[in-house]
Amino acid sequence: MAEDLVLDTAIRDWVLIPLSVVMVLIGILRYFVSKLMRSFQTPDPKIVKEGHFLFCRQVIVRARNLRAAANFITPKSFRSRRVYFSNEENGLLFVPKGQAQNLQAQMFSDPNMAMDMMKKNLSMIIPQTLTFAWVNFFFSGFVAAKIPFPLTQRFRSMLQNGIDLSTVDVSYVSSRSWYFLNLFGLRGLFSLILGEENATDDTQRMMQMSGFGFDPSKSLSAEKDGLDIVQHEWALPKFEHRAEAVLKKLVS
Amino acid sequence: MVSKTEETQLNRLENQVDNGGGGAWEYLCLVRKLKVRRSEKVLKHGLSILNDPKKRSALGPEEWTLYEQVAIAAMDCQCLDVAKDCIKVLMKKFPESKRVGRLNGMLLEAKGSWAEAEKAYSSLLEDSPLDQVIHKRRISMAKAQGNISEAIELLNKYLEIFMADHEAWRELAELHVSLQMYKQAAFCYEELILSQPTVPLYHLAYADVLYTLGGLENLQTAQKYYASTIDLTGGKNTRALFGICLCTSAIAQVSKGRNKEDKESPELQSLAATALEKDYKQRAADKLDLLTRALRSLKN
Repeated sequence: MAEDLVLDTAIRDWVLIPLSVVMVLIGILRYFVSKLMRSFQTPDPKIVKEGHFLFCRQVIVRARNLRAAANFITPKSFRSRRVYFSNEENGLLFVPKGQAQNLQAQMFSDPNMAMDMMKKNLSMIIPQTLTFAWVNFFFSGFVAAKIPFPLTQRFRSMLQNGIDLSTVDVSYVSSRSWYFLNLFGLRGLFSLILGEENATDDTQRMMQMSGFGFDPSKSLSAEKDGLDIVQHEWALPKFEHRAEAVLKKLVS
Repeated sequence: MVSKTEETQLNRLENQVDNGGGGAWEYLCLVRKLKVRRSEKVLKHGLSILNDPKKRSALGPEEWTLYEQVAIAAMDCQCLDVAKDCIKVLMKKFPESKRVGRLNGMLLEAKGSWAEAEKAYSSLLEDSPLDQVIHKRRISMAKAQGNISEAIELLNKYLEIFMADHEAWRELAELHVSLQMYKQAAFCYEELILSQPTVPLYHLAYADVLYTLGGLENLQTAQKYYASTIDLTGGKNTRALFGICLCTSAIAQVSKGRNKEDKESPELQSLAATALEKDYKQRAADKLDLLTRALRSLKN
């Protein structure tokens, strides 16, 4: 049933553009508020944690170097280093099972950390919720825009929420979908206006949050497994032959 | 390590600035980026910028970085009053700064008041125990006072935390060599080879240390590493060529009387000798005689 609905230009003037403008303004406001909040926050005495992370990162770099260049050192030294790293009792990369879980639990129970995460969450969720409610209240019950490509019927419930007619083509969407489009699309605009670091990058922040707690123990055990697999094949004898060839060419 | 293009660029700028052309600020920025030690020039040109109020205000916020750079260069050249003035200016602008505190510590070091400098550094470390530069300053203080074993101890502690810092490993290797602790030096060089396997310098140093340690196994390993140095430098490294000749003769001496293990590369020594002779003929023909005699004595 592809009828061509003619949409009033007033919709464009009074719905689409104001909605985008409002979202941009809210994003800018959020950025400044987060900057203010960050400047109020005194640097937490999380130095011990930071020291531990730094140490883990250095261990990982060293273990990675060992894996990459293992064939350049003598078999004996490689083996002694491998033991040093993956030793069951006090190897650097060895993280006992209990401790791995602990780290995560510790993260969440530490009051400072929890406050931090909550604050970040709030600054993300509240504006989103408010704007969504506002859109729903004011801009529902009519068709806002037409998507240029055809869609299947499954998208009807997602995109046509306020519109109670079931015969309207799915390409005609309500303003809620315009809101979501702006939510994800304005990220690029914000990085242009506000510079690289802006608090509006929600998806990035969500990824960061999940990666933060696991960083040390998971990568340490990953490195340990990688190191255990390595087969040492001493490359130096090959170099002797290569040197011979080089010298032969030089001398002749 | 500075690459070749960077080096030529630096030299070009240096010539330009020395001969009165402009570009002092770019030169100073490049020196800072490459972490090269050209303290006299930095001092001269930096001061010329700082003493001229027009040029100074043209720098804007970079002015303070320049003050820091000039202060360090002045300390290196022992112009302590210049350094003190620069630090005073910085202290007025950034009263509670750790960076300025570090400069103060360095000034005390330059004056030679070791105990006070040590106190200053320890108090700075209490606030930020993860500051790499302060750790390194303490180590270099111990080294400057001649207390090499303490320097080694501090450096070991530093490396327990910051084990990916290859310059620190290099420093530790050199300290060990200066105390003739060759086994430990060999370990450090192995670390360096692991982190940067294609730098011939480390292979060469490792081979030297192994050769010094002696013993059949070490000598054979040393020979292999000299060979890898030759490979990495395209045969141009004279020291590695000599190393091969010496190693072969040393191995022959050590395994005299034992059943000769089949040598993997018997030609290597003769090739190295020939390459050496060719090189000497080109570059130092008058010493060629010495060389041939030395090589002949090695063969016996």
